[in-house]
Amino acid sequence: MDPFRLLELLILGAVLAGFAGLLLHRNLFFKVMCMDVTGSAVVALFVLVGARSGLRSPILSAAAGDPASAGQGAWADPIPQAVILTAIVIGLSIQALLLVVITRLSRIDPSLDLASFDTGGKR
Amino acid sequence: MNSLTLSLMPALSAKAIVIGWLLLPFLAAFLAAVLPPLARWLSLLCCLATAAIAVAIQLGGLPATVELLGAYGVALNTDAFAVPFLLLNALVCSAVVLDSWRRPLPGPFLLLLMVLHGGLSTAFVVIDLISLYVTLEVVGISAFLLILISRSDRSLWVALRYLLIGNTVMTLFLIGAALVYLERGSFRFEAVASTTSVAALALILVGLLMKSGLFLSGLWLPVTHAEAPAEVSALLSGVVVSAGIAPLLRLSGGVPALGPVITGLGLASALLGVVFALADADAKRLLAWSTLSQMGLVALSPLAGGFYALSHGTAKAALFLVARRFPSRALQGWRERPLPAGVWWPLGIGALSIVGLPPLAGFAAKAGLSGGLSQPLEVAVTLLSMGTAAAYARFWGAPLLRRPASVDCPSAGARGEASPEPAWSPGVLLLLLALLLIGAASLPWIASPASAAAKSALVLLGGWGLHHLLEGERWRERLWLPELEGFSDLLGGIGVVGAGLLVILNR
Repeated sequence: MDPFRLLELLILGAVLAGFAGLLLHRNLFFKVMCMDVTGSAVVALFVLVGARSGLRSPILSAAAGDPASAGQGAWADPIPQAVILTAIVIGLSIQALLLVVITRLSRIDPSLDLASFDTGGKR
Repeated sequence: MNSLTLSLMPALSAKAIVIGWLLLPFLAAFLAAVLPPLARWLSLLCCLATAAIAVAIQLGGLPATVELLGAYGVALNTDAFAVPFLLLNALVCSAVVLDSWRRPLPGPFLLLLMVLHGGLSTAFVVIDLISLYVTLEVVGISAFLLILISRSDRSLWVALRYLLIGNTVMTLFLIGAALVYLERGSFRFEAVASTTSVAALALILVGLLMKSGLFLSGLWLPVTHAEAPAEVSALLSGVVVSAGIAPLLRLSGGVPALGPVITGLGLASALLGVVFALADADAKRLLAWSTLSQMGLVALSPLAGGFYALSHGTAKAALFLVARRFPSRALQGWRERPLPAGVWWPLGIGALSIVGLPPLAGFAAKAGLSGGLSQPLEVAVTLLSMGTAAAYARFWGAPLLRRPASVDCPSAGARGEASPEPAWSPGVLLLLLALLLIGAASLPWIASPASAAAKSALVLLGGWGLHHLLEGERWRERLWLPELEGFSDLLGGIGVVGAGLLVILNR
């Protein structure tokens, strides 16, 4: 099997595991952790997309030879890597914010059970 | 005016103007953190800048596309499509600032408002998936913090739910973006248009549908919009939902395969919203369900959708701003409770605009929308509008309070509040004025005003009849609707929409 496909399937499995955990866990803290599993899987996907054309870091240095040969080398694609850096930062800050809210919610119910907060449409 | 903008052009390049305009809210937010007394003026300045840019685009003063940093850089589309959304952003944000001019605001409110404003402006002009992801997350985080501003226990849960669901769908959106890049080597919307990957399209749509509050992906919306403080509800229902619908319309205009799917979703969303709005017993929740339904109508037409979103957002923001001064949120016994003039008139005018009475903005929006639709769709939209009219009919009929409220309850002064609020909020006045002006200005462009006016009268009469039928037969008590707003229902709804999209797009 093509290793690229295999890794892609593994990442898909991680995304689905995160989504299922988000749906099934009753504890809010674990729900946030499951969201992070999905987020990490997406980071892995972008790294994989970047590594499709090669594994060498796309940084030119004097030791690596002249820039003219850059086209032929098996360089990694820098664009997905640059893009995912932003997404990592955003994901981290969102997780921090969610955890702050969860510490506040734990004063209402220390067990953080979904049922004690989730009242649906009723007030 | 045109010559003025043209003569200004050489002094400042279009690129510099656009970058400066998009950076202004964020710089102003930093400055406001250092100099809090300036915060209100700075936020008004940001809104004015956005309105000025919208006018400049409309007059042709700016190029339609601004390229930053060459081939791999970001392109921004400052085209006619963005104009109604930018105007809406400027109107609603400045109305919220003006509405709270006399009241002390909780610490970071204006700062967050400016960040939200900047994020929204950017979301209306970006044309690539990654910039869209970043701006939607900026909008989501600032909306989350704004919901938290009331610091009640309930708002903690509502905000957590909003951000948790929002971030989950945005990670799915990112997977879609990665799949598009894998195939086409670009994140631009044109690359999405030419992609053959059905999964990528479905995942991108799941993200945008949740952000725009459409159909089952939008089930988070009623609780969030109803439980937030009134100013925040006005922002959320007025403009924040447009941050999702604007890119969705841009995409559906460019990708032919998406057209029928989004039309179907829009109709389903409009129907779902109307049915739940008719059945709900809470005033703010009725307004929120109506947002879900109106967003469905916006999604029907990429061409007329922008103007529809403008007229709906302006009216809905006015309605939510006066919701703060409702005597009670319960719709039971609404007719027995008199309303002060500063609530009664905005409530009537805002609701009539959404229903589509000439010469308000909603009339022109409805006429423009039905102009571009096929015959069966047009009939469906008319029927749905009757449902909307029946829902809003529950607000009418409350008596007008003649005397000022402070005479009736002497305890209001004893509570130690600084100064009594003015009878009319300047922010609401601005929005009502905008509804009238936009409506009057767009009257000459309506193709057949007579038939459109007849249709609007028909919708009003039909709505009134439906309202009386529902009240008289006591159907509301007998009507059984499923409870769809639990946390697992929201995730399930997103899963169902995603799976459904995969199946439909695969055909």
